[in-house]
Amino acid sequence: MSIQNKSDAQPILSMNSVEVLYDNVIMAVKGVSVQVPKGSMVALLGSNGAGKSTTLKAISGLLKAERGRISRGEIKFEGEDITEMLAQHRVEMGICHVIEGRRVFEHLTPDENLTAAAPKGMSRSKLNTEKERIYNHFPRLAERRNSASGYLSGGEQQMLAIGRALVTQPSLLMLDEPSLGLAPFLVDEIFGIIKRISTEDGMSVLLVEQNALAALEIVSEGYLIENGRVVMHGTAEALKSNSDIQEFYLGGGEETDFHNVKHYSRRKRWLS
Amino acid sequence: MDWVFLTELAINGALTGLLYSLFAIGIVLIYKASSVPNLAQGGLTMLGAYVVLALSHDAGLPLWLAIPLAAVIMFGLGFGIERVALRRLAGRPVVMILMLTLGLDIFLRGMTLAVWGGTSRSVELGVSYEPFFLGDIFVSRIHLVGAGVALALFAAFMVFFRSRTGIKLRAIADDYMASWSVGISVERGVGLSWALASVVAVAAGVIWGEIQGVDQALSLLLLKGLTVAVLGGLDSILGAIIAGIILGIVENVGADFLDPLVGGGSRELIVAAVLILTVMIRPHGLFGRHDIERV
Repeated sequence: MSIQNKSDAQPILSMNSVEVLYDNVIMAVKGVSVQVPKGSMVALLGSNGAGKSTTLKAISGLLKAERGRISRGEIKFEGEDITEMLAQHRVEMGICHVIEGRRVFEHLTPDENLTAAAPKGMSRSKLNTEKERIYNHFPRLAERRNSASGYLSGGEQQMLAIGRALVTQPSLLMLDEPSLGLAPFLVDEIFGIIKRISTEDGMSVLLVEQNALAALEIVSEGYLIENGRVVMHGTAEALKSNSDIQEFYLGGGEETDFHNVKHYSRRKRWLS
Repeated sequence: MDWVFLTELAINGALTGLLYSLFAIGIVLIYKASSVPNLAQGGLTMLGAYVVLALSHDAGLPLWLAIPLAAVIMFGLGFGIERVALRRLAGRPVVMILMLTLGLDIFLRGMTLAVWGGTSRSVELGVSYEPFFLGDIFVSRIHLVGAGVALALFAAFMVFFRSRTGIKLRAIADDYMASWSVGISVERGVGLSWALASVVAVAAGVIWGEIQGVDQALSLLLLKGLTVAVLGGLDSILGAIIAGIILGIVENVGADFLDPLVGGGSRELIVAAVLILTVMIRPHGLFGRHDIERV
């Protein structure tokens, strides 16, 4: 079931001027507003330490585990205020966060990894159907379903982390740097599968990526985050053709000669 | 060499060892579900025995009712420990949690002393002390009963850790953050592991209380229980059973050879040597999970 009419529905996720403090002092996110329309794929782009991961943790509720908290702003999911909600209740509502670094349960088999994520009250037969669906999406996992997950390859672990998140039946899947450390063909494969699941099931996706080139190929819109603030928002097409984005994130653009790239210029242009 | 006597030593050692396993299963349960080494298992075992005594001798309930009731009370207490003390420490360095469990152990010892005093009491389980002969070999009935309880718990937990709840507990031990991210309630999982370990503590408390009397010395079983848990691999129930049998035999047979040479007290030496050598030579024990490193 795909959602045809994206524009007139309310966004599945809306985050308004959210500010995040770690340990009550360090401000990692300084007023970020992000909207994810139902059924669409949105990317958060930006360099290391810009506040992208923190933004995802604010949405999934995992901030608390790292002694962070939302000090200002609000987050709404399906119209409901979830700013103060426990992480596990957000998962029950349909938000699932694939955290950075392919954190599979290493000592469990892939099959057990999927079982561990089963929501409360999911029947055994439903769980088995879900597992088969995930193994269909990721046939490599099916082959190794009973070996220790710690010994899977990086790509397989990323697939497992995504598959594990899918078991929770998310309507919003958030992925943090799924391409990190993977060969380009694997990135294409994984992104292709995510795109397919999103279109087939109408699942919304919020994707955090440093690999802007790959991300902009599959999302419909993107936000550029720098220094804890959104500095640019636009459709994937608009972002791809923007000269600043080309210069700093896609490599190349008009100024292919590195001697002419002014490194201080992006702060100057975007934050003033 | 008297082979019958040696076999008798070995068999009785193995049975005593299974009683150590019974104790160690509690430590393993908590480690397997939260990666926390629980130094309070001795205190919990002692408390379990005291609760049974309070219900049976003090409140006058029959033992068949007092023991399950004590198990229920201790189950609740296990959840309470997580709620009151451990929850604040989730995500902090393990050494903090380790110190907390040590503090809990000391607290329980002091509390039972204040409430029930320090005089050794007996459980009066009603297991006969008549000698029981397997062929020519003498075995103690209470040890046989305790070994049976240990094996039954072992079987039950092997099944449990393959169930959905059991898999979720193992997931928590692997990665708290990833568990939260897929909606597993880490807090409830850790609470459940303490609750189950507290129930195991009732079983171990009753058996050991029957053997050596119920007093604060029961909590000192921690040393042998911890040795068995470490030798078995800390997160392996099967390891706890096998390591218990090994330690029991080595201790019983070894002490028989060494005691005449050193004039007694070699049991403790053997246990200490096993603990130290395990940590030095094979830190993940006989069946413990390795840290997975991909090449």
